[in-house]
Amino acid sequence: MTLEASPEVESRVVDKQLALVSVEDVTKHFPIGAGLLGGGSAVRAVDGVSFEVRAGETLGLVGESGCGKSTLGRVIAQLHPATSGKVIFQGQDLVPMRGEKLRRMRQELQMIFQDPYASLNPRMTVGEIIGEPLKNFGLARGKERSNRVHEVMRTCGLNPNFLNRYPHEFSGGQRQRIGIARALVLNPTFIVADEPISALDVSIQAQIVNLMEDLQNRFKLTYLFIAHDLSVVRHLSDRVAVMYLGKIMEIADSHSIYENPLHPYTKALLSSIPIPDPDLEAKRQPILLQGEIPSPVNPPSGCRFHTRCPIAQFPICSEQVPPLESKVDGHLAACHFAGQL
Amino acid sequence: MAPLLQVEDLKTYFHLRDGVVKAVDGITFHVDKGETVGIVGESGSGKSITSLSIMRLVPEPGRIVHGRILFGADGQPKDVVKMTDEEIRDFRGSDVSMIFQDPMTSLNPVLKVGFQVREAMSAHDRFSDEQSKARVVPLLKKVRIPGAADRTKAYPHQFSGGMRQRVMIAMGLSNEPSLLIADEPTTALDVTVQAQILELLRDLNREMGTAIILITHNLAVVASLCTRVVVMYAGRIVEEGYTRDIFKNPQHPYTWSLLRSMPRLDAARHSKLLTISGLPPDMSNPPPGCKFHPRCRFRVDRCLEEEPPLGEVGPNQYARCWVLMQNALVTQPEKAAAAEVPIPPLSAEPAQIDQRPDPDRPGAVKA
Amino acid sequence: MATAPSDYVFQDEFTADSTYETGEAVSLWKDAWRRLTSNYFALFGLAVIVLLLLVAIVSQFWTPYPTWKQGIGPTYGGPSAAHPFGLDQVGRDILSRLMGGAAIALAVGLGTALLSSIIGIALGLLAGFYRGWVDTVISLLINVWYGIPDLLVVMLFVVIINSRELKWIIVAISITAWLNMARLVRGQTLALREREFVEAARSIGTRDVGLLTRHILPNALGPIIVQATYLIPAAILFEAFLSFLGLGAPPPEPSWGAMCAEGYKSLQLAAHVTLVPAFALAITLIALNAFGDGLRDALDPRMRR
Repeated sequence: MTLEASPEVESRVVDKQLALVSVEDVTKHFPIGAGLLGGGSAVRAVDGVSFEVRAGETLGLVGESGCGKSTLGRVIAQLHPATSGKVIFQGQDLVPMRGEKLRRMRQELQMIFQDPYASLNPRMTVGEIIGEPLKNFGLARGKERSNRVHEVMRTCGLNPNFLNRYPHEFSGGQRQRIGIARALVLNPTFIVADEPISALDVSIQAQIVNLMEDLQNRFKLTYLFIAHDLSVVRHLSDRVAVMYLGKIMEIADSHSIYENPLHPYTKALLSSIPIPDPDLEAKRQPILLQGEIPSPVNPPSGCRFHTRCPIAQFPICSEQVPPLESKVDGHLAACHFAGQL
Repeated sequence: MAPLLQVEDLKTYFHLRDGVVKAVDGITFHVDKGETVGIVGESGSGKSITSLSIMRLVPEPGRIVHGRILFGADGQPKDVVKMTDEEIRDFRGSDVSMIFQDPMTSLNPVLKVGFQVREAMSAHDRFSDEQSKARVVPLLKKVRIPGAADRTKAYPHQFSGGMRQRVMIAMGLSNEPSLLIADEPTTALDVTVQAQILELLRDLNREMGTAIILITHNLAVVASLCTRVVVMYAGRIVEEGYTRDIFKNPQHPYTWSLLRSMPRLDAARHSKLLTISGLPPDMSNPPPGCKFHPRCRFRVDRCLEEEPPLGEVGPNQYARCWVLMQNALVTQPEKAAAAEVPIPPLSAEPAQIDQRPDPDRPGAVKA
Repeated sequence: MATAPSDYVFQDEFTADSTYETGEAVSLWKDAWRRLTSNYFALFGLAVIVLLLLVAIVSQFWTPYPTWKQGIGPTYGGPSAAHPFGLDQVGRDILSRLMGGAAIALAVGLGTALLSSIIGIALGLLAGFYRGWVDTVISLLINVWYGIPDLLVVMLFVVIINSRELKWIIVAISITAWLNMARLVRGQTLALREREFVEAARSIGTRDVGLLTRHILPNALGPIIVQATYLIPAAILFEAFLSFLGLGAPPPEPSWGAMCAEGYKSLQLAAHVTLVPAFALAITLIALNAFGDGLRDALDPRMRR
């Protein structure tokens, strides 16, 4: 039986109204310089984030480096324990789960990593790497396991003859396929993809993007797609969340966020992206933000973006944290002056 | 008028235990005074080795084995390849300077930033010690480092990535070189910071007339900054021409495919991206014939055996291909159609200009 | 969705990859072996070690004379055709004793390296992987242990066990020798557990045992092997030192250290009695260290192309 005809896939719901994963007020603080008696400060990597990922959709999560998007991805995938908050997946809160219960849950919840060089164990063959999830859950043995590995390799565009080769014998794009195959072999429902193409050569990126889209259609997968590249996110995502300094600034469906960004940060981000067309480039006028992203140890008061915001008004923006609320049907933004830039 | 830089049939080879890697294999191009030229390619295309060759900084065991690199627009151009060690020291940093992807590795972490900028000048005799000292703050102001006078006493780690890149640019420009080579200057930076740096480079090019060679893998960055583009693949130039022509009417299948394989902000969502199958070639064992043929969907038999020359395909446009896209689109339309991505017009207005009255604002758009 | 006929599958997806495969299939170990064999000093070390191993094995079945038999020739007899390395203070054949001593040296060296590596690896893995209080306890133990002189530990141990049999000497040296290995493995584990492939392994539901044995340990193997090869000469030297002090293997075991100790009182009379075992010891230590250095260079990932 092929993977895509399995009853798990058959019964999977694609309903882009229905929440598959609900993230509720999640924070993740990394303590730094804490003494024996506590004290010290913390890197507030994720600071009170709520959103949902809907069944069968791709939610793009974008932001600049240091905004906490990768940490959030790892908190959702339960690789870092959340400091507080809930991650509800299939009706269960994952945050308090530990040990065997959490391990069992991982069958449904997989991750694709950014760096295809660092995320594969150099001492294991490709067959061992892709077969390991099956081994961990005792899902298939011997011949059956190797058949499954073959099938997944073929699905991901890898030649099954390379089963006994080591990762370093492959190129970046092929390694990323191995990473995807490893995530896919357990037949999960939900995949967190942390910048899966940003480490790849330009001509290879499209191969991986297309593969991920293809897999989503065939296996009714739900993706949380983390990226700093807004062009890729636009290409792949149904909805997009924009993160800045540990907080969600704006979240809406892809079309409305790209055509009509309400938050000044989103607007600046979009205007900063060069377009591979010299004529459009000549017309493009980026909104240049001043400075760079502040330190998450000491985030600015009020709205975290106010130090760089071109439309900030004082004192409101530096004193009151704007709530993430619906501005125009389902388009959420956290800004006192949404849509005014 | 003679070009500022003329690279002629440059070959830079690496002699390794297992054989010779022809990292740069016979490239010819030029840069005019005050021009911005982009060299585009993937990893292993030879774009970085090209820039290092111009600076004569090719790492061991690499060597320039053939060709000339003529520099100097007025009077007698000098051949960089033949310069003595003394001459090359003088040439680097004063005639041509280079900035790299990671500014942290190029700055000395234990020396103050102001001192390092001054050092960049005192290594050459274009400016006296007095002048050098006086130039530090204006230079840092020029690259729009806020509070430049105070920041000279700071150490590199007290600067953010974008600010460090500005310091590198200040150092690069300190001797008023006529050419600046920027090797992936924005790759390590975020988009909003990238926009600032690109804007800065554009302004400096305009104000100071410094020619820029931009080495990058990102076509969009090239479109934003460069007037001319050189596309490299497997150590060769596969296409060259004015940015507009290359982007609107690419003739080499590699350029054509690359442009269609990138997700774009202005393209239809969920449109299928074109994939370039296979991998960039292994440079220690490159394929015979056209180096791109194993990945080319328009190849013909001839491509497997004979390498095409870099031929003129239009006014000031050159491509290294037996087929050329203008023919391929006619003779092999099914393959082209399979890859065609419909690009709708941009519906949104260009982003609004920041109109806050703040003259000191770094990089504010001038209306 | 606005797409052209997207079913056009480019046929050469695989062939493009396999025809122009990137790089050759050189594994880390093959690569290391190639580099090791191009290092002549390390090869010299390896040759001496192989020779020593052969001598040690042969000595278990045959020596020119029994190693313990006294008075087989003149006391302090110099080198001769019958006794190439001469005779010692009670007329034993030094060549035979040297051969026997090789077996003891290697047994102590290898035995200690193995035993102390097992202790060090186990504690290092636990401390580095679980961190927290486990690490605190193990690190404290290591630091306290460092503070106590090795000689004192061994002397106490020998007194308590009340035996100077070779196996107990090995155990005694091992309980002082695991510290560096534990520190090394702890450091490696701390670094490796943060690596993305370990995180990836966790995400696919790998249990802790699997993480440690499949992902962390194999990737720390290079430095561990190098450290273990340095443990061998250190242990041999320590045993010789113990024997010299009269704390090592009991007479008439032909330990090199004991042979030196027995000979040095008559150094002016018959220097060969001391010099021959001392020279053997020196050559062995140089060879083992040379091999260890070569191995370190060969396995160092920074040396890889």
